[in-house]
Amino acid sequence: MSPEPVLAVTDLDVHYRRRQGRLHALRGVSLSVAPGETVGVIGETGSGKSTLARAVVGLVRPSAGRITVAGAEVTAFRARQWRALRRRGIVQYVFQDPLRSLDPDLTVEESLAEPLLIQGRPRREAVERVRAYLARVRLDEELLSRLPGELSGGQRQRVTIARALVTEPRVVILDEPVSALDAANRVKALELLTSLRDAGTALVFISHDLGSVAGVADRIAVLYRGEIVEDGPARAVVNTPRHAYTRLLVGSAPTLRSARADRASRRRLRALLRTEEGIRHDV
Amino acid sequence: MLRRIARLTTGRIALGILATVGLLAVFGPVLAPYDPLESGADILASPSWAHLLGTDYLGRDVLSRLLDGSRVSILGAVQVALIALVVGVVPGILSVYLGRPFEWLTLRLADTLVALPFLVFAVAVTALLGNGIPQAMFVVGIMVSPLFYRVARAATLSVARSQYVEAAIIAGASVGWVIRRHVWVKVLPPIAVALANTTGVGFVVVSSLTFLGIGVQPPAPTWGGVLAADLGYLSFQPWAPLVPTALIMATVWACNLLADAIRDVTGEAGRALLNTRTVRAGLSGAGREA
Repeated sequence: MSPEPVLAVTDLDVHYRRRQGRLHALRGVSLSVAPGETVGVIGETGSGKSTLARAVVGLVRPSAGRITVAGAEVTAFRARQWRALRRRGIVQYVFQDPLRSLDPDLTVEESLAEPLLIQGRPRREAVERVRAYLARVRLDEELLSRLPGELSGGQRQRVTIARALVTEPRVVILDEPVSALDAANRVKALELLTSLRDAGTALVFISHDLGSVAGVADRIAVLYRGEIVEDGPARAVVNTPRHAYTRLLVGSAPTLRSARADRASRRRLRALLRTEEGIRHDV
Repeated sequence: MLRRIARLTTGRIALGILATVGLLAVFGPVLAPYDPLESGADILASPSWAHLLGTDYLGRDVLSRLLDGSRVSILGAVQVALIALVVGVVPGILSVYLGRPFEWLTLRLADTLVALPFLVFAVAVTALLGNGIPQAMFVVGIMVSPLFYRVARAATLSVARSQYVEAAIIAGASVGWVIRRHVWVKVLPPIAVALANTTGVGFVVVSSLTFLGIGVQPPAPTWGGVLAADLGYLSFQPWAPLVPTALIMATVWACNLLADAIRDVTGEAGRALLNTRTVRAGLSGAGREA
């Protein structure tokens, strides 16, 4: 691993205040992403994976721990400092639902140029760059004048990916980037992301689906109930999972062989997980 | 937007009536065949070729008074709408962004204005600032501004939590950028609907106030003033209130039609936020009290 990670999270705690008590979204999470590395973060709904992603870009304030972005300690940043950092475009974010993350009243060109215009670049330069990146995500230039509602789901997601790329970020956080796509578009989007990785951009690939991450990620971290229960090379996590939850995840992947056998193995693993948890919580 | 409205039948009717009313406001005083303040020997005359709409209790030509009064009435209604726009919309958008204290303060202010009895407030302001059209319109504008505040705030809230605004924030956008680039466009359609509705209500309120003698001093003619004078002589001329009433009704109706047309041509955002019922409910409060 290279000496300075582009993104590092140490002992991160995040609480949400609820009407009754507090919700522990993340507990002592540590994760680091080296330049050009692809890290998959796997977890089920409510495991805290989106909270982790949002904390890293400053949308959620951590209650404890440290976050470092490109060597800068951002944990205690104020709004103005965050804005200055974000304008450098080092970290970008791709949301799960491309329809909701594009302003329905802005054309593709306006949406794509927005991060560049926020940086204060002249409009002409922004438009040129937008065209270049449009080609990189294999979208036609005639789409530039369209509104998000006039695009297909796959095209929309490619637009949001292009928007994340125009500032030449060093890390892109992908929050379930392919969950809203159908199988064919999912494959295309994954191919696109793989080409990104080859271009040297670090990716944090968040998903509930081990299968869509396993092929892309160098390393996989498994989040379970706000804690990272397993973190290792992708191949090792998939082939020889150590934690019971990971084993359940691996076992949950439909195999197309026998539904009944799948169900039985999932039941066994769930029971195992329960006992393991019981032991841990008793301590 | 105007072109899209003109494509609808309702939009065409509304624009047609409003254009006529606008022409009345500009040329009305010039078109009046008599001096609206000059009284003649013929009092309470029936319509004739000399006096197309008859004369009132002082022998003044009713047609001239209506034509002459159109400018004051219409400008008044427009003034109400503009004041409500500035006093309501701007704080409505900012209430989402300027933090809790400002939000709390403006919300309570809006509640207070809604609770305030309209006529008492109107009388108090005219007592303080003097009796005149601008003062009266100021009062009305303030009284309807909570509606604009609420509409603008609701539209802003729905945008402020959206993912595309978050995406802009992650790209380093400031609050000003977010408002200019994303919020403003979404707030505009529902505001346009509310504005058209308010202009309608503005007419009614101007008329009611003049009817009570607040705003316009008696000799000067307005639509509401003519209506009020006519009502006193119902036993002599039972048909007399019909003409000023019809003028006011037609204009209000056109404003409401226009509001509906605007709602129909603007996107889903406008429609979802402004199903007409909420606007009408908010406004009828002011109208009823007046």
